[in-house]
Amino acid sequence: METRTRTAWPWISTAARLGLAAVWLIAGGLKVGDLAASGRAVNAYQLFPYEVAKVIGAVQPFLEIALGLLLLAGLAVRLSAGLSAALLLIFIAGIVSAWARGLQIDCGCFSTGGELGAGADPAYGWDIARDAGFLLLAGLLLWRPRTRFSIDGILMGDGQ
Amino acid sequence: MSNGDKKRAQAKQVVREQLARERRRKVTLWTTVGVVTVLVMAGLIGWGVAAGQEKANAGKLTVPPAAVDDGTAFARGTGPVQIDIYEDFLCPFCRKVETAIGPTVTQLVDAGKVTVRYHPIAILDHLSSTQYSTRAAGASAAAAQGGKFFEYHEALFAQQPPEGGAGLDDAKLIEIGRSVGLTDQAFADAITGKTYTAWATKVTDTASSRGITGTPSVLVAGTKLDSPTPQALAAAVEAASA
Repeated sequence: METRTRTAWPWISTAARLGLAAVWLIAGGLKVGDLAASGRAVNAYQLFPYEVAKVIGAVQPFLEIALGLLLLAGLAVRLSAGLSAALLLIFIAGIVSAWARGLQIDCGCFSTGGELGAGADPAYGWDIARDAGFLLLAGLLLWRPRTRFSIDGILMGDGQ
Repeated sequence: MSNGDKKRAQAKQVVREQLARERRRKVTLWTTVGVVTVLVMAGLIGWGVAAGQEKANAGKLTVPPAAVDDGTAFARGTGPVQIDIYEDFLCPFCRKVETAIGPTVTQLVDAGKVTVRYHPIAILDHLSSTQYSTRAAGASAAAAQGGKFFEYHEALFAQQPPEGGAGLDDAKLIEIGRSVGLTDQAFADAITGKTYTAWATKVTDTASSRGITGTPSVLVAGTKLDSPTPQALAAAVEAASA
């Protein structure tokens, strides 16, 4: 039993690593085509001056893609997972603050209008739940960073 | 195995473990340096690409002379109270609001009470395969140059394509122009030549910098209406003119 869980962990971590890599690659890939829109989306949270929001909006998709590639390759998995967790916590904090201030933002992009109605917007809850799920993947990797098919494994040279 | 052999084997083992630890430390250090470098470079690339795009856009910018408000809107009426309407031609809720408040707006304009500034912004480009929001906003600028912004704007909403599709093509945009009397070649050329595409982006960015985060946004004397109904609009104009 003991050995079986020990051999299973690297596989579970590998799944988490590839899952998180896919999350970042998709998230970044969707935004990278329209950096101006990405900047406007950041600006919609009304947390930064417009000029700052534009820079964040431009940098963010490239960072996400870079993190995705690092995780895909399995290079410095623990560090990448830690940075992913930090980024996700920032996103969750942003959504919570938008929710608390009653801003009408859809999924981090421009709202399509006031049709959501007054009061609680259920999309915020879902966005937070989704990000919390991704955070769980990052947490798992922080705890057990050893994975199969990773550059880390090759560099450490211990077969893991 | 003698006692000495055993000790020697143990010592070898200790040295091997130390070497392995040392190796791990080095690998961790260098991969960390590598990761940080990659992320910083990714960030710089993003910054550079965005700055380049903005510069390229600024280079292509043609501001329609008919535009007011820093060249980002088209005005209707000359009354004392200012109404600002930010809308995206692909946004279904904009069409709904436009239909609901349109007659009231026209009344207020005709009564000489308000100046309406229309800001055709393009925030829904990702909801059509042809960047319909930007193309339609650009076409409306061409219509404004032909003196028919308002008529064209109405016609665009009346023939609004659904979100998620291909949008209307340039030929259709030109044809809608013809239906409101925009028959000159300059109008058609502005659409096919994408004359006002960069301008549509500028209008959108300006709106964003003003904190306009959704469409439609209807502002009376600078204050946003929570729900843009004809009654709310008339009441806000009344309050602003008092």
